[in-house]
Amino acid sequence: MKRWLGLLLRLGLPWAAGLASVGVVGLGVVLTGAFNTTASTPHAAPIAWVTHLTMTNAVKRNATQLSNPPAFTPADVLDGARTYDANCGVCHGGPGVARAPWVGGMTPSPPFLLDASRNWTSKELFWIVRYGVRMTGMPAWDQTLSEHDVWNLVAFLKALPNMSAADYARATAAQPAPAGSGLARTP
Amino acid sequence: MSPRLRGPVVAVLLAAIAFAGCAQPSHRTAAQLGGDPERGAVLMVREACGACHVIPGIQEAHGEVGPPLTGFARRTMIAGLLPNTPPNLARWILTPQAIVPGNAMPDIELSPREAADMAAYLETLN
Repeated sequence: MKRWLGLLLRLGLPWAAGLASVGVVGLGVVLTGAFNTTASTPHAAPIAWVTHLTMTNAVKRNATQLSNPPAFTPADVLDGARTYDANCGVCHGGPGVARAPWVGGMTPSPPFLLDASRNWTSKELFWIVRYGVRMTGMPAWDQTLSEHDVWNLVAFLKALPNMSAADYARATAAQPAPAGSGLARTP
Repeated sequence: MSPRLRGPVVAVLLAAIAFAGCAQPSHRTAAQLGGDPERGAVLMVREACGACHVIPGIQEAHGEVGPPLTGFARRTMIAGLLPNTPPNLARWILTPQAIVPGNAMPDIELSPREAADMAAYLETLN
């Protein structure tokens, strides 16, 4: 028993001291304002890696609890395109369409989404849009868009890799759908 | 160093390196004749070029919408149309819609100087 305790102390103490010193430095950064919180320069590589990977894994884990998406129709894609144009395009742009000029001043920079559906499943896209992403500027849309609206946005994002700039311009040319205009989808 | 100290010491050193890596990237302010590749690299992150292009040395730049910009300095043509020279590349970055109307790459609001900086970065990729 005593031997085990001795071994634990011998191996554990240096680790505890090491972790404590990292904690002290971390607290020092928090308390002294040494960490630069301006948005005018990109994240340092380690910060970008940690935050992006954390978000990716959290989305992948949480999206599994959603039920399967509805079958998407061409009408859903068109409705999603209008909702996208009215609410999302300002930050995310579109095929041949730039974001608002001030969006380049955000850190992290909101991505163009032309291949978003190649990197995320429908459920994951729904999770990101409906519940947002903390500390990125991505809002949760659950207050202003219905679940139906968000699924239609997902339908649009799924169709986006096959849309040309002209297709996109046509799809978004019609009257934009104001936020919250969607009808509740019956399950 | 005794073996039982080695693990914690290495961990603390790694943490210190990580903190050091979080420091501000340095900015070159000296006006240069051509574009400044360092400023170009920062602009490429800010303008989210990596959402559509694979760009070596740029964070999160693994988009596969447009062509990968790997080894761009060795590329012969830009958009299959313009000879790959720094002024042509800056022109393409500034107004891709004027050169190939209806292509997926948008005209973004950049100054000619900013476009030249981005071109200068791409021309460093061998």
